[in-house]
Amino acid sequence: MSRAAGGIEVEGTVVECLRNANFRVELANGHKVLAHISGKIRKNYIKILPEDRVLVELSPYDLTRGRIVFRYRN
Amino acid sequence: MDTLPFTISRVADNQWHAIENDLVVGRGHAARRLDGRTFLSIDTWRDAVFGRLAAAMATDQPQYTVVDETDHNLMTNWVLAGFTTSRREAEFVVPTAPTRATVPSGVTITTATETPLRELDQAIRDEIESTVGWHTMPAEVLPWQGGTRPIDPSNYTVAVRDDRYVGLVRVATMTRRPRIGLVAVLAAEQRHGIGRALLDHVLDGLHSWGFEAATAEVDETNTAALALFEGLGARRTGSSLELVRRPGKAA
Repeated sequence: MSRAAGGIEVEGTVVECLRNANFRVELANGHKVLAHISGKIRKNYIKILPEDRVLVELSPYDLTRGRIVFRYRN
Repeated sequence: MDTLPFTISRVADNQWHAIENDLVVGRGHAARRLDGRTFLSIDTWRDAVFGRLAAAMATDQPQYTVVDETDHNLMTNWVLAGFTTSRREAEFVVPTAPTRATVPSGVTITTATETPLRELDQAIRDEIESTVGWHTMPAEVLPWQGGTRPIDPSNYTVAVRDDRYVGLVRVATMTRRPRIGLVAVLAAEQRHGIGRALLDHVLDGLHSWGFEAATAEVDETNTAALALFEGLGARRTGSSLELVRRPGKAA
């Protein structure tokens, strides 16, 4: 079984919806990252709003960027 | 010539992985919707991986995906993979407000029950099929290929004339911001204010439940629906594109 590159997933809260389908997400450790939504979320028309709790997969190439892979039901 | 150091593996019937040095560096997923269409998604941090996954996922059937119009990088990747725009939806935030809906004479707005709701649903489907066709319709109303279409009457508000349902609106309230999923009025009853009355009624109810706004998506060729939502003070927040790749168009 292959491992996911990076593989760092952290919970956070959406603090701002930005242009270009990006979101500012504050992680549990207080750091803020720029995140876009995953293809699966987009494909299922799931809307992301400020204050939503989300799971973010951080980029292995740039830890200030991430991908929202899950939205929790608040 | 392909000199890229990763390989593409189909790890399940509907999943592909791009693997480099035993690490998954990209994932592709295909989901078949109940309307029979297949939608793709690809997640990777590298454009070259995206292209290879998209090529590996091509089939002899049309494939679809959804992108935010402002996500230029993602859009470029799908276009390079052979996808073109098939429809465009405007996204709206619709403010709720306490409203006394102006209901057309002889029409009442009420909650739905299943049997007449199904009759109206079928009548609207028949009209679409014989007029504008399905290509401009959102995924939720496309022809159902899985047997009896599930309908939850609790999500619907209907307009009734002479004991017959003539219009409906469906609202999902599962999330913090409700979504207006469908507004439809029988062709013979259109342009009489029934759609507006249905929406006024629903938005009034949402306001009383504490919701400040709802969301809605409208096909950009549907000028009547665009005018209806703009008339309600809806604020446009963006556009999403549905892309399609026809067989033989894979890059």
